Amino acid sequence: MSNIWKNYKTDVSYDELMYADFQPRNNSLTLCQYLDSLTQDNIDNRKISAELAIQEMGISFTVYSDEGNIDRAWPFDIIPRIIDIKEWSKIEKGLKQRLKALNCFISDVYGEQHFIKEGKIPAEIINSSKNFRQQCVGIKPRHNVWANICGSDLVRDEKGTMYVLEDNLRVPSGVSYMLENRVITKRVFPELLENIEVLPIDDYPTQLHEMLCSIAPKQSEPPQIVVLTPGIYNSAYFEHAYLARQMGAELVEGSDMVVEDDECVYMRTIEGLKKVDVIYRRIDDEFLDPEVFREDSTLGVAGLMRAWKAGNVALANAPRAGVADDKVVYAYVPEMIRYYLDEEPILPNVPTYLCSDPEDLEYVLQNLEQLVVKPANESGGYGMIIGPHATAKEIIEFKGLIRQNPRNYIGQPTLSISTSPTLCKDKLEPRHVDLRPFILQGEDTFVTAGGLTRVAMVKGSLIVNSSQGGGSKDTWIIKTKGGQ
Amino acid sequence: MLSRSAERIYWLARYLERTENTARQVSVYMNLLMDLPAGVEMGWPELVRINGSTDLFFEHYKNANERNITKFLLVDKKNPTSLFSSLTYARENMRTTRELLPDEAWEQVNEMYLYAKQNVDIISNRRGRLDFLNKIMEGCQRFTGLLSGYMSHNNAYRFIRLGRKLERADATSRILELASLLLAESRSNEMRQYENILWVNILQTLNALLMYRQHVRSRVKGDDVLNYLLRDGALPRSISCCLQDLENAAEALPNHDKLPEKIAELESYVQSINTQKTTQFQLRKILDDLQGKLGELHNSISENWFLVQESTQSQSQTTKV
Repeated sequence: MSNIWKNYKTDVSYDELMYADFQPRNNSLTLCQYLDSLTQDNIDNRKISAELAIQEMGISFTVYSDEGNIDRAWPFDIIPRIIDIKEWSKIEKGLKQRLKALNCFISDVYGEQHFIKEGKIPAEIINSSKNFRQQCVGIKPRHNVWANICGSDLVRDEKGTMYVLEDNLRVPSGVSYMLENRVITKRVFPELLENIEVLPIDDYPTQLHEMLCSIAPKQSEPPQIVVLTPGIYNSAYFEHAYLARQMGAELVEGSDMVVEDDECVYMRTIEGLKKVDVIYRRIDDEFLDPEVFREDSTLGVAGLMRAWKAGNVALANAPRAGVADDKVVYAYVPEMIRYYLDEEPILPNVPTYLCSDPEDLEYVLQNLEQLVVKPANESGGYGMIIGPHATAKEIIEFKGLIRQNPRNYIGQPTLSISTSPTLCKDKLEPRHVDLRPFILQGEDTFVTAGGLTRVAMVKGSLIVNSSQGGGSKDTWIIKTKGGQ
Repeated sequence: MLSRSAERIYWLARYLERTENTARQVSVYMNLLMDLPAGVEMGWPELVRINGSTDLFFEHYKNANERNITKFLLVDKKNPTSLFSSLTYARENMRTTRELLPDEAWEQVNEMYLYAKQNVDIISNRRGRLDFLNKIMEGCQRFTGLLSGYMSHNNAYRFIRLGRKLERADATSRILELASLLLAESRSNEMRQYENILWVNILQTLNALLMYRQHVRSRVKGDDVLNYLLRDGALPRSISCCLQDLENAAEALPNHDKLPEKIAELESYVQSINTQKTTQFQLRKILDDLQGKLGELHNSISENWFLVQESTQSQSQTTKV
């Protein structure tokens, strides 16, 4: 193969496009041959045109510490990641199954609590969850769905098994980048997409819109849908605006809305106050309503929780759906699937040690050097430790943190997650990737064809979060031709 | 449409119009000064003066020469009305109203911003500066065309028109202020010699030379030019024409209240100005007055549509809490 593949060496990790003997997998053959046919100039040009497209389209994300320059260009790797459609259909089923079970669980927690009463999960895990709120008990959102939008993180181990690493049920982001990545790929590799059948992904905004319509309090007329954003300083502002635009919904900030005496939510328009039926909120629970949560919040709307409880407005995701987005609760998801759906889990969990359990705690403390330990309630890759990459001092400090608050930590084996060829300067190198598909549940369930592949751009790094130097790739779900 | 979005979109249009006007002024001024002998009373400092930023300029610069003044007017971030500042604000307003405008329009503004940002240095020489200004003027026109061709002429579009035309009327009045200098009794003989060239340049600043010739069909004369730029009903940059469009846009918006009537009043006031009988001093007074009235118009627009209050009941409730 040509220069761009020079010294391409996969380590122990599974490579998404290559077999260990450096032969392209069946479904990657066309792509690999095509890349091979390109000259260095061709590659450079395509990389540059992708960068230009990103700049011109203004695809950006915000980094909090970057003062003065609040929007940063989106880091994108032009080499796509490929998944075969056969494998994907199974993953898709698994994701739907998972979200359904999770929603049954949340409804149960805020309802009769059978799962707890029957001893499937210790009551103190729920009661000590930051995201559990007594105020939500007895509320029944439409279709009994609390988490309408879920972004699950999937990783593949060295044997090729896909695991669910976590389910993001609060305000998962990244879907707009998934969509824009495809737009860029179409610009950069138009000839390639002629020969490969890639499943389209661009119906997501329509699906999201339909799902939001299906949860409106009144089903008689087309609902007024809004996307609630914390504003332009939020790291995902681009996405909020993008989704509002794609759905033809209003993009609102807290100060644009008010709850009147009739316990309905209104927005301030040029025609005066107008009623709002469905809010796709992209602000955290804590900031939603200063009457109930943080009093100092200026991002939310005073009285919003009253309006929601009165059934006058739908909130997606429902407040406190995050009770199931807790890394301790995560460990119980396979059991939820068996309990609520009477099915066997299609997608496995990563083995998880709960530090709240004395035996597990002992194991985690003994083996911290080999484990990844995460706080139960953080996202964005903050506050965690990767044992094999940590210094002795960090290990000792972290052990202290775990002992102080065992309920807040879980341990997992350090997976050697899969790699995918990534353009680094002028040649391809393996970089670790994960996958975040997006799942919708309202009246129906829907899964994106693929998802956002995030890639750790730093050699050897396992951290793929965009806030910490990660990039992204287009993800292709393809049909392999000729039954190979 | 959200009040906040309406406000942002209105300002987006104002800032872009300001961007274009600044480019146009500087470009024509360069042209003009190449024709004039050195030392006449019309020089670069006048350009800063009509934009009302003389004080700010001297806070940052000692010499009011071409280099400093063009830098100040075009790319200086410390000048909030510089071309680059206006373009930056326009882009920022657009970034927050993207859900209302066609993608291509955003890409156009973003591209123009990136171009300006990367080419700040080329304006230091005349040739580079001309290139720069042409690109910007073209870009602004393309934006206008894109919206006209791609966007529903809906309420959002009407707010664009309000912003654009108000800003334009203001800019034209400032150009006319500059022109009023040419009517000064005390102007030098040398200046009188070049008068014709000056009036031609004034018309060019407003892209009105060809239209003027077709309309007036005689040689370019000071009174006629003023008259034309103030009162003509068909020239897109005449004050009267801007006001007409403001009136139509306001009329088509919901809750327009008494605004169209107010604008109509202002228009008949403009029609009543008699340029033949005004001295330079009177004209300047009239134009100042007009700028003040445009300012009031802005306040009314803002009160009508941007500041929506909740019903009085719950307002009193919030104060209780």
